[in-house]
Amino acid sequence: MEAPASDAALADVAAGEPVRSLDPSIRTIWMIKMAGASTILFLPALFYDLTHLFSPNAWLPFGVLSGGVLVAATLYCLAWPRLRYQSWGFALRPEEIYMEHGVLKHVRTVVPLRRIQHVDVSQDLIEREFALGRLVVHTAGSRSSDVVIPGLPLPDAEEIRDKIKRFILEDPLIEEPV
Amino acid sequence: MPSPSSSPTEPNPSVPDAASAPDPSSTDDSADDLSSNEADPAAATLGAIHEPQRLHPLTLLLRVGASLPALLVILLPILRNPGSTENLTSLVLGVLYGLFALPAILLQYWRFSYRITPKQIVIQSGVLNRKNRSIPIERVQNTQIERNLVARMLGLAKVKIETAGSSSTEGSLEYVHQGEARKIRQVVRSFQRESADAEADATDEDEADVETLLDMSLRRVLLSGAFRFSLLYLAVIFSVLELFNPETLIQRFIRADRLDWLTEVMFSHPALAIFASVLVAVILGWISGIAVHLARYYDFQLWLDGDKLRKRHGLFTVTEGTIPLDKVQTLILRTNPLMRAFGWYELKVQTIGINVEEQGHRVIAPFAGGDRLLELARRVRTFELPDSFANVSPLTIRRRFFRYTAVLTALLLPTVYFWPVGWPYLGGVALPWWGFGLVPLTLGWALLQYRNHEYAASEDGFYIRRGVVSHYLWIVPVEKFHVFHATASIFQRRLGLKTLFVDTAGAATFAYPEVIDVPADEADAQFNTLYQRFKALYRSRVEAATGAPDTRLDPDERPRLPTDESIGEPSE
Repeated sequence: MEAPASDAALADVAAGEPVRSLDPSIRTIWMIKMAGASTILFLPALFYDLTHLFSPNAWLPFGVLSGGVLVAATLYCLAWPRLRYQSWGFALRPEEIYMEHGVLKHVRTVVPLRRIQHVDVSQDLIEREFALGRLVVHTAGSRSSDVVIPGLPLPDAEEIRDKIKRFILEDPLIEEPV
Repeated sequence: MPSPSSSPTEPNPSVPDAASAPDPSSTDDSADDLSSNEADPAAATLGAIHEPQRLHPLTLLLRVGASLPALLVILLPILRNPGSTENLTSLVLGVLYGLFALPAILLQYWRFSYRITPKQIVIQSGVLNRKNRSIPIERVQNTQIERNLVARMLGLAKVKIETAGSSSTEGSLEYVHQGEARKIRQVVRSFQRESADAEADATDEDEADVETLLDMSLRRVLLSGAFRFSLLYLAVIFSVLELFNPETLIQRFIRADRLDWLTEVMFSHPALAIFASVLVAVILGWISGIAVHLARYYDFQLWLDGDKLRKRHGLFTVTEGTIPLDKVQTLILRTNPLMRAFGWYELKVQTIGINVEEQGHRVIAPFAGGDRLLELARRVRTFELPDSFANVSPLTIRRRFFRYTAVLTALLLPTVYFWPVGWPYLGGVALPWWGFGLVPLTLGWALLQYRNHEYAASEDGFYIRRGVVSHYLWIVPVEKFHVFHATASIFQRRLGLKTLFVDTAGAATFAYPEVIDVPADEADAQFNTLYQRFKALYRSRVEAATGAPDTRLDPDERPRLPTDESIGEPSE
């Protein structure tokens, strides 16, 4: 994993505020969610294995399929949240939100605050347990119509939201964001 | 949420006007009138439609007419064999239709009203669920007037009101009198102009500064259709086959023995038959392309009316629309190989307030020569086409070649593996193996994609050229940049490449101006440059607006994340 914001070419965009990481406990949240998703995958494999337990012409020996899925899922749940956490970085700068993320596909995004239509802070059940929030930034763009920064401590997320709101309200340019 | 006011400055879309009285449903109108009267009693309320208006009475006729096919389906058994006792249910249903559907149409009509105040368009509708929709005037992107064949015969028109926040039509008045439709559009436009630049004085005459930008003659429309192909004929053929039995059709129109020689030829010369059917398909596609174009773009006219574009076109359904110039996000020049060979292009603009049929893209000029089109595009938005475009990295050929070959392999291998013994073999191997003969073609395709992909970042915008079959040129002005992306997939990272994408409002989701496979350093540098240009432009605008340099926040007031040092301090 490359260190966030170290390119010379990005000196201007990446200058100023240090790029911040997410809250470390987001890894646990991701792990829980991935484990849930993997279980859904694992159950059919287990079902197949059990129903073919006494079948004379089994495609695979007993336990290979479910075991394989289990091992793959465990590795995925253990490794992926870490990798994803390492790849995440963001910064709220005077005029923009800068963020980078993505394990397989590195994505670096700059959202000018001026272009933000509105901001939400949301929280699901698991995130509530960890007192984390998700900052959802809506723009009028097509691909990036909502940009999400997960895993922020809730007060931080709300503070960022309020700052963005204030930026928009204080914008002296009377024009629509579109 | 689709709402007319999704901007943070107007937080509550359900309340028509934040500044108006607490009970919006009953008193917002009077409050509006008061405030606007105070502002400019003479001009502001001129032409406003304060009294709730009903739709044109003939609407009732049209709506009943539209519901008749349903009645026909219900009564079909009776019509088929009258006198049968099994017809009771359909008779009951028919009576129920008379009892409910007709009064429903009447009630809907009765309970639908609209009015236009200087601040908003209010549409009230609904019989059981009353809906009170107010669309702020300044949010209206486009008022479109549509007249289909029946409406034209009755002198009616449909008015569609589109806004930025919503991806579909926000309000629709179906139908009003033709003159009324024009009046509504006029009124909305004049109110918008007043709120936009109250101090600007040159808004007196509406027709004074109207200039025709494009006027397509019938010959030109036909010619433009000749360069397009349409598969519409397939739909026609299928729907005909759906309704009629093909055998009876043939028996009725052509005697079967006349077709015998044809079937004979087809069986004896399969290659000829294939060639002939391809030829017929091409000709049919060509003819239906002309027909579709003629129906859509007949009498295409485009005017520049002050700060708006107006267009009107259509043979059966006449569509009229306005596009405010400042709502134009991206200019898109498009051409296909055939058109390109003769130097013809199509110009589209990307707007937001998306008309679903046109997917956020409005055709401004369906067919014009290259220079003429560029000149026209400059009237919409001034730009300086860069002299030189930069190519993306040649490594893109390699990446694309590997990618397409991998996809091809993934498609072919399973078929090779599971190919049954009885199926055709060629040269001793299963037929799909020969599919790998396409590999050199993928190389050629990758090469063509590289050749047809260029970009240029100049002072006034970002220019991207892409597309092998359909050539696209996107012109993205700096002022419409939205969100900046630089992405690198795992394969791109191996080759040191990046994809650069500047998002715009309302961009399409399929063909969008991405610059794929730029060398990583170059991509980062461009990313930086583009964002700096955007920032500089808006800094200068802020300076011009406030008279003060730099941004409007003091350094210590600027948004700042709580770092370790500042966490302990009180935030404000």
